[in-house]
Amino acid sequence: MNVLKLTPERCTGCLRCEIACSYVQTGAYQPAKSVIRVSPFEGHTSYAPYTCTQCAEGWCMTACPVGAITINGAGAKDVVDDLCVGCKLCTIACPYGTMFYDTSTRKAFKCNLCGGDPACAHACPTAAIEYEDVATADWIGDFARERVSHVLALEGAR
Amino acid sequence: MPARHLIIGGGTAGMNAMRTIREEEREPSEITLVSAERPYSRMVLPYYLDRSIAESHVFTATAAHLARWKVKTLIGRRAAALDPQANVCTLDDGTRVEYDDCLIATGSSAVRAPVPGADGRGVHSFWTLAEARRVLDSVSPGSHVVMVGAGFISFTILNSILALGAKLTIVELAPRILPRMVDAVGAEVVESWLKAHGVTVRTDVKLASIQDAKDRKRLKFSAGPDLLADVVIMATGIRTNLDWLEGSGVAVQQGVVVDEHLRSNVPNVYAAGDVAQGRDLISGGLAVHAIEPTAQEHGRVVGANMAGRDVRYRGSLIINIVEVCHLDAASFGAWDDAHAEAMAGLKKDRNAYRKLLFTGERLTGAIIIGRSNDIWTTNDVGMLKGLVQSAQPLGRYKEHLRRNPFDVKTAFIAAKTTSTLLPETVLGRPSKAPGDSPVAV
Repeated sequence: MNVLKLTPERCTGCLRCEIACSYVQTGAYQPAKSVIRVSPFEGHTSYAPYTCTQCAEGWCMTACPVGAITINGAGAKDVVDDLCVGCKLCTIACPYGTMFYDTSTRKAFKCNLCGGDPACAHACPTAAIEYEDVATADWIGDFARERVSHVLALEGAR
Repeated sequence: MPARHLIIGGGTAGMNAMRTIREEEREPSEITLVSAERPYSRMVLPYYLDRSIAESHVFTATAAHLARWKVKTLIGRRAAALDPQANVCTLDDGTRVEYDDCLIATGSSAVRAPVPGADGRGVHSFWTLAEARRVLDSVSPGSHVVMVGAGFISFTILNSILALGAKLTIVELAPRILPRMVDAVGAEVVESWLKAHGVTVRTDVKLASIQDAKDRKRLKFSAGPDLLADVVIMATGIRTNLDWLEGSGVAVQQGVVVDEHLRSNVPNVYAAGDVAQGRDLISGGLAVHAIEPTAQEHGRVVGANMAGRDVRYRGSLIINIVEVCHLDAASFGAWDDAHAEAMAGLKKDRNAYRKLLFTGERLTGAIIIGRSNDIWTTNDVGMLKGLVQSAQPLGRYKEHLRRNPFDVKTAFIAAKTTSTLLPETVLGRPSKAPGDSPVAV
């Protein structure tokens, strides 16, 4: 299956992915509702996007007490809004922190790969986000490990 | 002859077991379900109570659904005795059901504080669907509802009671609220939030009796003023439904003691969910974890083993979350471990609290409280679960978290927690979607 392949070295922190994601997912430009989130590293000199890996277990899906999370045509775990009651169990069952809750709709929401045509990958001007048929991976761990060393060193010096 | 599986209990553990049997088995088998009630999810009853979903939404399987799974159902019946020598379960109407293997998933029941009047009219529990219906029928706008017990069950229905337009008072025997879910500092954050949202909270009070007072109820305490209530909800704990196993030879402590395959001391008798005392992921010891995710995982592991696979369970992790008036409170793992190294951060102006408990380099427990609309809170709940579940060594990020317990995301990502988590599955294979289960027969 195609997954979101992240190459953090190419990310400029422009946040177009968050804007595109929230627009396609909610119909409004509101990065707070984006399910891909860009984090700064090394004192805002580096950035990396982070989103659902579509993990094999699907902790959100197996935790849902009413079967409201399913697998869509793109192979992504996807919330069925009509079934979700908003109990938040998926938000604590997902060990990656990529399951969210919308206080206005009172439903859980997550990355569903836009059904197979992810807006974030289209919007990214530097190909830091690509949609490819590769195994999912920890795309940003090594990058982050390197790019927090400066901050940790400063803390240690205090 | 096809294998005969007997599932005793139609709650979360039993339903997950049946579904997984059908997903995993190579040869068609017979499944019989004995369940006192039609299968439904207790987790969603609060949303039925506030009328945001219809009653039909609470059921986890209709009769047609179970028929498609080729499950023979004995609904409305309870198991009365188990004879593991003869491989027979006797039901409350005398029916004898023979099995090749069976699952004990009889769950737990609500208990009421042992005071005079606790069983009277206008006093309710909130645990089963029938109890939820009675509470829904008795609460109206302007009602004064008194909840006895400030634990998890009370807090799951707190929003619903307020949404029905009722006035709410919570009374608790312990000196603080949520004594089994958050620590004293966390409880203080939640309690002051509740008071600011119009909920009356009285802790450290011992209920003495509940009396009739015309159409209302009068609650008397061993000290302090009486309370007059229209509706009393007793949320004073649950007890495991084990009595029927007495004399069966199935070994019981706080629950049915199970091994890593979730088998009891009788090899063809399994137990799962609230009634099982199985491995705790953090301590490695045996514990009863009466929570939904444990029932789900137990049920799936039992189903796979019943279907002939060899699946070992690595242990269950305590995870809990409640939202009250748009404040989230969650805890994970051994959050109350006095031997762990604790680091905490409190931001009173943001109603935000974090407590991280370390054993060596690993996070073994955590508490998180914050506003529901605070992205900081929603990001961190899952990552804290991931750090506890993965037991990822945090190395130098531990000191970073000591300095800033709120910067969980940086530590999670840079410690490469995702790499450790990605290969983890409960059944050793990718999970199937809820609608995907094949019917083997």
